[in-house]
Amino acid sequence: MATLTRLRRRVPGEVHRPPDTPSRPHRRLGGLGVKVLGLVCAVLVWELLGVAGALPADSFPTLPETARAIGTELGGSAGWRSIGQTLAGWALGYGIGSACAIAVGIAIGLNRFAFRSSISVIEFMKTIPVVAILPIAVLEFGGTLKMEYTLVAFGVFWPLTIQVVYGVRSMDPVVRDTAKALGVRGARRFGLIVLPSAAPFIATGLRVAAAVALVLTIIAELIGGAAGLGRDILVAEDSGTSALPIVYALIVITGGVGIVLTTAMTQIERRALRWHERFRPLERELA
Amino acid sequence: MALDVSSQPTLRSAPPPETGRRAPARMLLRQGGRLLGGVWLFALMVALWWLLTEHSTSPYFPPLHTILNELAKVWFFRAAQQDLVPSMEHLAIGFAVAGVIGIAGGALFWRVRVAREALTPLVYFLYVLPAPVLLPSFILLFGIGSFMKVAIIAFAALWPTLLNAIDGMRSVDPLKLETARTLGLSPNRTLWSIVLPAASPQIAAGLRNSLQVAILLMVVSEMVASTAGIGYFILNAQQSFESVDMWTGIIVLGVVGSILNLIFVIVERLVLRWYYGERALQQA
Repeated sequence: MATLTRLRRRVPGEVHRPPDTPSRPHRRLGGLGVKVLGLVCAVLVWELLGVAGALPADSFPTLPETARAIGTELGGSAGWRSIGQTLAGWALGYGIGSACAIAVGIAIGLNRFAFRSSISVIEFMKTIPVVAILPIAVLEFGGTLKMEYTLVAFGVFWPLTIQVVYGVRSMDPVVRDTAKALGVRGARRFGLIVLPSAAPFIATGLRVAAAVALVLTIIAELIGGAAGLGRDILVAEDSGTSALPIVYALIVITGGVGIVLTTAMTQIERRALRWHERFRPLERELA
Repeated sequence: MALDVSSQPTLRSAPPPETGRRAPARMLLRQGGRLLGGVWLFALMVALWWLLTEHSTSPYFPPLHTILNELAKVWFFRAAQQDLVPSMEHLAIGFAVAGVIGIAGGALFWRVRVAREALTPLVYFLYVLPAPVLLPSFILLFGIGSFMKVAIIAFAALWPTLLNAIDGMRSVDPLKLETARTLGLSPNRTLWSIVLPAASPQIAAGLRNSLQVAILLMVVSEMVASTAGIGYFILNAQQSFESVDMWTGIIVLGVVGSILNLIFVIVERLVLRWYYGERALQQA
């Protein structure tokens, strides 16, 4: 990998980058303060609206009620079990879908004929709204975990495959030709040339797919009836006005799960691709 | 928390255009071959589907020709009017509202930096939150009429556009901004003639994400609470075990989704012709 990076930097005509400049910690810290302040303000507005009685009592709970409901959900085992169920559906579907997508995508990306033949089919499949498949999955598997991860895997597969295919095909021609001239072939070529150039595409695809997968997991629970946070929300909503704070507590918890997953994926991407140009400090500073 | 939504859709590189001066006949042949190369697998898959389900007696997987017959009968008049038209209306209004608010909001955040810094975490939370979970509360707030559907489509589709607009406007080349300052352009003028054009490729990427989200929410909102619409049609058919009807709905939805995406890509290419031209030059 290091070889490739050196190879890349020596490409004629490419601008030599100045040494990395240190980031500006002061501004970042100030930015963080403003961000926290923004969140506090939003929460305060919610609280004030509740105190002033401006919230419609039958459709929007006040902040203390919701906070208490979040406490109850996270204090007992039921809330955590739902989170676990949602995460299980997410992880299985995401894992299966992305493993297949990476394998298929690399195979298609490496073969010109396969690329030409299949790309339009994959592009078409990508544009089909995944919810269309939901009824078939429900008919076949019922409201189960299997239905959930099948739907998620299906939804993850198409866009990620496209990303992998274009990643594999995005090889820098100079690098490709250099490798050819040096006689790098087979597994070494794959590890040294193909994978490193596809990696950023795959990583971006994986990060985006993680968010898509969570949305689909929730839909599978909300409409398909698989167990998890999505179904809990629907159940809470059906049980009347008294359960209203629980509905909102679950929404906030789902958002929290989303933030944790997205942040984790972004961090993993950044760590794993530290060597890549896109993530070198200077580039980030300019971006 | 760093907002890193910027590079997702733009990463895909367009295949460089073929520019050669070959004899027209050969070029035609080449293009024909290319078209055939792109289509044969698709045709094969449809043919396989047709053949494999030809004598199918499975209640879930009816023969394709039965589905297609039913599709022609049901969708060409009645269902298209009853279910497709309202769906498309909700989608169009919701997506348009989201797009306008998203771009205007991005511009506002560009002008008022403190607001941007302060509200980004909230925007990010709403972007990350899977929008379907909000459906129950939207139903409580707005009932189950058209307004609720437009509202949830607009609400969900807003965030990708807004975040990409914020990000695109933030990463405008500083040199351009300084030039504008030197020329004494007013902030509004700078916004219109420098920031918006420079951010437009990323705004377009955001809009494309928003369109996907909008289609998703259109279907989901009809599946959860509705008496019309394509999502309702599909789920209703499934629940009453009319699997032929269900398949027709799925096919129609797939085709509609593809057409909408195609329209978007064509419009994007036309509007951003200068950008794609520039990029092709850089790659050459």
